[in-house]
This record gives sequence, structure tokens and C-alpha cells, in this order.
Amino acid sequence: MSRTVSSATVVIGAGLAGLTSAIALAKAGQDVTLITKGLGGLTLSQGSIDIWGRTGAGLVTDPAQAVADAPAGHPYAVAGADAVRAGAEALCGWLDGWFEGDLHHTRLVPTAVGAWRPTCLVPAGHTVQPAAGQRWVVVGPRRMKDIQPELIAGNLARTPLPDGGFVRARGVGIDIAARAHEVDSSGVAYARALDEPSFRATFAEAVKAVVHEGEIVALPAILGLNDPEAFADLSKRIGHPLCEIVTPPPSVPGMRLDQALRAYAQQAGVRIVLGAAVLSATTDGDRVVSVDADTAGHVTTYAADAFVLAAGGFESGALEYDSTGTLSETIFGLPVTRAPGAPVVADYWADQPLFEAGLSVDASMRPLGQAGKPVCTNLHAAGGVIGGAVRWREKSGEGIALGTAWAAATAIEEATK
Amino acid sequence: MRKLSAEVVVIGGGATGVGVARDAAMRGYSTILVERADLAQGTTGRFHGLLHSGGRYVVSDPESATECAEENAIVSRIHADAVERTGGLFVCAPGDDPGFADKFLAGASAQKVPAQEITLSEALRREPRLNPGITRAIEVQDGTVDGWRMVWGAAESAKAHGATVLTYHDVTAIQVEDGHTQAVFCHNRKTGEDVTIDCGFVVNAAGPWAGHVAAMAGCHDVEVVPGRGIMVAMNHRLVNTVINRCIYPSDGDILVPVHTVCIIGTTDHPADDPDHLEIPADEVQQMLSAGEVLIPGFRQSRAVHAWAGARPLVKDHRVSASDTRHMSRGMAILDHDARDGVKGMVTIAGGKLTTYRLMAKNTVDLVSEQLGDNRPCTTDQEPVPTATSGINYTITHRLADREAERPTGPLGQQTPNDLGHQVVCECELVSRGMLVDTIAAHPDAQFDDWRRLLRIGMGPCQGGFCALRTTGIAVERKAMDAAAATALMRLFIAHRWIGLWPILFGAQVRQTVLDSWIFSGLLDLDSVPVPAVPPAFTPPGEAAAAKTATATDKEVAR
Repeated sequence: MSRTVSSATVVIGAGLAGLTSAIALAKAGQDVTLITKGLGGLTLSQGSIDIWGRTGAGLVTDPAQAVADAPAGHPYAVAGADAVRAGAEALCGWLDGWFEGDLHHTRLVPTAVGAWRPTCLVPAGHTVQPAAGQRWVVVGPRRMKDIQPELIAGNLARTPLPDGGFVRARGVGIDIAARAHEVDSSGVAYARALDEPSFRATFAEAVKAVVHEGEIVALPAILGLNDPEAFADLSKRIGHPLCEIVTPPPSVPGMRLDQALRAYAQQAGVRIVLGAAVLSATTDGDRVVSVDADTAGHVTTYAADAFVLAAGGFESGALEYDSTGTLSETIFGLPVTRAPGAPVVADYWADQPLFEAGLSVDASMRPLGQAGKPVCTNLHAAGGVIGGAVRWREKSGEGIALGTAWAAATAIEEATK
Repeated sequence: MRKLSAEVVVIGGGATGVGVARDAAMRGYSTILVERADLAQGTTGRFHGLLHSGGRYVVSDPESATECAEENAIVSRIHADAVERTGGLFVCAPGDDPGFADKFLAGASAQKVPAQEITLSEALRREPRLNPGITRAIEVQDGTVDGWRMVWGAAESAKAHGATVLTYHDVTAIQVEDGHTQAVFCHNRKTGEDVTIDCGFVVNAAGPWAGHVAAMAGCHDVEVVPGRGIMVAMNHRLVNTVINRCIYPSDGDILVPVHTVCIIGTTDHPADDPDHLEIPADEVQQMLSAGEVLIPGFRQSRAVHAWAGARPLVKDHRVSASDTRHMSRGMAILDHDARDGVKGMVTIAGGKLTTYRLMAKNTVDLVSEQLGDNRPCTTDQEPVPTATSGINYTITHRLADREAERPTGPLGQQTPNDLGHQVVCECELVSRGMLVDTIAAHPDAQFDDWRRLLRIGMGPCQGGFCALRTTGIAVERKAMDAAAATALMRLFIAHRWIGLWPILFGAQVRQTVLDSWIFSGLLDLDSVPVPAVPPAFTPPGEAAAAKTATATDKEVAR
């Protein structure tokens, strides 16, 4: 006999979409349980909020306008620009002061390959916008293999800025150990070390030793994980403008955002259950009644009036494509839509139709089945499980998560009124 | 224009060509080998990795079986570092005729191929994933061989005996005067330099491309039909010994554990162009279904990469029936003096990787005979320089190496820090030190060369993490600038995709999407401006084939 937990809404998934819909509903007074198999995708993300950064035509300079102009079938067109704006505003309100920027302007952040990557809302104070003629120095610990300063500087300096011109940049490696005798440390190891004021002092001295007057200092995004004062303290000690460089995962800015948002969700009353993989769902006619999840030592039944499926896409295992060519959504077995024709094509840089596959949803974010009707009246989707966009190419993942989560939460609220 | 000279010029840097170069050099001939790409980049690097015990041929092709058994023992010894002595099993799957096993055992006995039937419980104890419905199991001495390591070992040996190896050199023409080969004209694809090699003898070992090379010397109608076969690598060892279906040779009848993966192969279809080999979806499905017969659940395992190789199958109608003295089953040596009236040139094609040394011996026997001095072959006597320890490859060797590099002793009193101990590629346990040494030793090489040398980027993540590190280290070591390195990183990723998209299903979709999030989502690699990739780095043959055709017409007319 399994234990049963009843809530108004059960959210499945702990990425930005899951957390946003859970918080929105909890703030509206609902009893919300969020169940998740693992940590959400935020921990792998760059920690900023993408809205729409690139199209086939190039850089998007006004993300909000791109959202408003989204083509039919794109998740933005289904959720609507209002939901995207409301979701982003809500997030900025919940994490007051965390982000800077606005939805009408693209910001650029340097990445570990030396690209100027477009994004929209960035962690306040952690970035410097590039401008022609600026002098940048990329400084990285040699013992962190995912940061190679010479490559980054070389590419930053040769990539034209949107308004024309280039920055000047050079790369320097420093020898500083996050942990004694370790030559192969992750960014997280450095970030934890930089939470300690004593290591910050040593680190700042090593950076200062290689920085020239008037240079903007780009450092890997490792400048503190849990200590919110770490960045400001380093900034003061080094005495130059600092800018964090997006790294491959594990991504420290993503982990910071994940921690902050989960803590906020819990404060808002969301019950978060980690390590709870959904095993099966029980339906009654056109309604989902409950889901069974594999929790520590036993199976727990989570019953609710409404459900939000925010489990992500292929990267999290929520979508699967098997060796016989069958596409499936792995939790509810919902129908997955993909463009006809070949799922993938030989040219790596071309659009791969498989990666646009996902659920089709109505304006209430309810997954659609045969004849365009919702499969269940109380089952909603949000985030990466929804098809119609290749988020990594567009730089649109967070915006779609926020917009679809907001639209799903709004629909659930309205249904309960 | 650079001028060189040699008694023997070998064209083609696959196993056969390198074997011929080593053999000729060991017999004391001054020897130059030219290869249009990297060594073992063609057929030799695109097979399943099986070092035949001979078992596969005991019923269908008895002479090959004996040759394989003999050469297996020699190659395992002289190329110890490239060979893993996995052993093998021939199993009768449910529905297979168990009576074939009797023919198999009789053939093995007659052909001196060591083979012994074992109980089903013993077979399943050794390989627990095997289909429990098998009806018979016979153990043989199959091994697995890293074609690249083997060829590099042979090339090092050739060089130690005085040979010169010129990679990334296209042959543009072969000069024939008074019915005798005089010189081979080459073009260095990396430097753009033209090279002329005056020579006494040309050995055409260009494999599936041998017809083009022969035509350059005016020897026409050497018809080499590329036989395309696909292979699919699964991301770990489902088995630790080679598993063969005990049936008449067929498609998808072997599963070979190589390094950290296992490979199912293969198919056989005529191809038009060895530079453009398809990996058709129906053949991938055929391999997966064949795998399912041997290992239930095979389809749920993760396919990590697929590739196609071209067997060089010679169909030569001009070889007279009596001209078989230098022929052996599966291999063809064409004497262009007898065939075309061109002295000082032979073509060698066909054969198997397992018998590469024997093919080389037979070829150089003919060369030596025509050069009039009949020097003896000694290639079976001496291990190649990389194999002098005599220790065969083991799957755990890199783990042992990395463990040996770990700091030892109590905290604070450990061995000195060495950045070289960073693990750049976790999948294949490649250290920064290995990469830096390789970059230094091969200044002209590029990412795909380093990949073949180190196996970097060949594990489950297919470069997801190591590609960026490798790119950065190449720039930091000043091997190239950021622009060139980024262009090569993009090319490397695009090249990996060639072997990924045909098998993109299951967990590999998840990995690919994660990699896409990293490359494109996090790093925005798509947007970094890159220069055009130098011609030497274009996929094998694409630019070269066109150039060769033009040069041939011009030079041969001369």
C-alpha cells in the first residue's frame, strides 16, 4: 500500500519551468508539490535569462520584439508574449536585485570558446558589456581545464561587435590551486574555495599580478558559489571591472540561480521532493488523478487537481527516440509531434528536425492529442518538453520556460476559480 | 620543387602499403612511402578491429583460414601493443543449424586453426549477456587489433630501417619512360610544395583507390570495386571476447570488443566511390537486429558511432589464370610488366588486415625478384619499435597509467604537481601530457590526427567535453592561432556527426542534445567567425580526387 500525498497541483521537474510554475501557483495560494527525479537543468545553464538571442539571420537585438513576432507553432506564439513578459517580471520580482537588463535589449557575455554570446537578463554586476577599443584580459587558472585563456582571448578579439569594431584581448594563465596538490579542479571546486575570504585574497593577488592598468578582467564564472559577497569582494580586491565567462557544465552561475530559486520556492510554500522519479500515472476519463513516484524506500502516490509536466526534453530523458524510430514522452506517454521527413540530416550545422520535436499544446499549455484536443483537461506542460524550437540555437530556453510555465500556472489558477 | 630518390616508392599508407614499406626497408631497399592523408585513414582505420583466428574461413575459404591462423600468431607478437588477446567464440544462435558446428570443427582441424567446443554453461559464464538460447559454442583464438596502432608501429619500424614516410602527399603523376617507371610526382597538401621522387620501382598499395593510381602509369582497367561495409560501435563492452555467429559468413555475424566499446559488423555492398561511403538506415537496422540475436537487449544499448569502410576487391580480367604464383586467396598482386608492359610497378590489393604482413611479403618477394636480388623477408622476426616490451594491449592500461600519475603519500608530502596529469578526455583517459607531447611530436597534425593517435573524442561523449579543451591547449601551446583552432574544432565536431547521425537513437540522442547545449547553448560556438579550413583538412579525397584526375590526364600524356 503506497503513501498518498494530496496537493492542489503537482509539478514534475525542477528546472526553470517547473520552479516558475510551482512558485506562481504557491504565490496564488495553492498547495503545490514539486517532484523531481534529479536536479533541474538550471544547474547546467549559464545562469542568465535567454529570451531570444539568435535567428538564422543573425543576432537578435530586441528579444521582446522577436517573441512578439514568433512564427506559428513556436512555443512563444502559443504561450503569447504577455506570458513571457509576466513570467520574466515575476522572476525578477521573486529574486529581487538578482538580474539586470530588460527584455528589449540583448546583452553579450563572453564564453569559454571566446564567443560573444547573446542573452537578455544577466546576474547584476557580474558582466561588462563589450565596446570597441576596450582592453580585456582573460585570466584563468591553468588547473581548470575548461578555461583556456589564450583561445578565449583570441576569439573575443577577432569577433566583430554588433555595433562594429572589436575589443582588444589577451589571455593569461595563472597557477593557483583550489585544493592543495590538485591539478585537475572543476569550476565548482574553485567557486567553493572562493567562498573563503582567505583564498579570495590569494586568488586576487594572483590575478592582479598579471593584469595591466585599464584592463577589463574576464574570469571564469567561478567567483563564489554560496557566499553572495564573494564577487563584490573580489572586485574590490582586484580593483578592475570583472566579467564572468560562461563555462561548460558544471556551471556555477546556473547552480547559484538554482539554489536561490529553490530556496525561494520553499519559502513560498512549495513542497519539493527530490529523487522522485515518476513511475506511472492514474487517469479517470479525461483527468489525471495521480502519479506514482519512486521515492526513498517506497512508492508514493501524488494526487492533485492539476498537473504540470515540466520534465525537460531529450537531455533529461523526458523525451525519447528509440532504435525503431519511435518518439515518446516517457512519463505520461503523450503524443510527440515532429516535422515529417528525416529526423536528422547529414550536415551538422543544418537544422535537425528531431531536436524540434516535442509536445504540441493549446493556449492553456495542455498537450494535444488526436484531432487537436487536449489529452487531459487538467494536465499542462511547460519548458523543454514542448516542441517547436531548437532552444540552444535560438538562445531561447529560459524565455520559453518562463512563458510556458506562466501560461500553464495562469490556466490552472483560472480553472480553479 | 623538392627532389628525392628511392629504390622503392610505395603509394598508400594503409596496412598494406606500410607493411610493404617496412618489408622493403628491412630488406635493405631505400624506400619512400607516400600517403594522401594520414596513415591508416582509409580502409585500415575503418574496419571492426577483428584479428582473425581463421575460424571465420575454415568452411568457406580454407586457405585463408590457415593464413589467418599463422599471421594471427605473428601479428600478436610483432605488434603486441596493438593487439588484445581477447579470444573468441563461435556460437550457434537459436535457429542456426547446429550441424554447421561439426563442419566448422572438422575444417578447423584440417586447417590447423585452434578451436575447441566448450559447454554452453561455460560459454554463458564467460559471456553472461550471450543469448541463453545458443545451442553450441566453440572457442577460438580471435583477437582484436587497433589498426592505427598497428600501422604506426609498422611505420616506425620502416623508418628505423631507413624508410621515409610522407603523409598528406597526393600522388599527381607517375612518370613512365621506355616502358619503365621513372618517378612519382607528389603534392604536399599541407605546404603546397611539389615533390618529385625518382625511383626504380613503384608499389601501388592504394587499396580501393588502386585503379586510379595504376592508370597514372598507363596501366588501365585495374578494376578495384570498393565493397562497402558498415560497422556500429556500442558505447561499452557488451562482451569481452569476440562473438561470431557459427554460420556461413554473412552480414552482421561478428561482435568485436575493442578498447572501451564493442563493434558489430558488417555488411557488403558494392560502392561507386570509396571517398563517399553511405551508412544506409536499413543496414544500421540490420546490424541492430543481428546484435539482438547474439545479445538480447542489444537494441536498448547505446550506439555511439557508425562508420563505413571499403574493401578493395580486385576484379581483374587481364590477369591470366596461370599468373597465380604471387596470388593468394583474397589478395591480388598485379605484375604490370606482364600485364601492361610497364616494368618496375606492381599493384597489391585485396586481402585482410590480419594477413597484411603476408601480403607485404608476397609483394616484396616479387619486387625483389624483379630487381634481381631475391633478398629474404624478415618481417616476422622483429617486433616493431612500439611493441618491444612484448606485452599485449589490455583495456585497463590507461587507467593504470593515470593511477600511476596520482599524487601519492600523505597529504602535504605528495609528488610534485604536474599539469600534464590533467585528464583532458575522461572517456578515453587522455592526459594533458599525452596531448601536449603529441602536439609537439606532430606539428603538422590536426584534430582528427590527434584523435586517431590518442583516441581523444572517441568515447561516449563524442568530444562533448574534450573538444574545447583540446582546442584551447592547441592555442596555448602555439600549435595554431585561435581562428584556425576554432575552425578545426568545428570541423572535428562536424566530422564526429558523420558517424553519429546514422545511429542517433536512444541514449545517444540524449548525449547529443547535451553536447548541443554545451557547444551551441552555452558556448555559442556557432557564432564564432572562422576562416576557411585549409585544403589538407577537408574530408579524405574530396579535393584530392578532383585534382588527381586532372593531373593524371596531363602527366600521363607526357
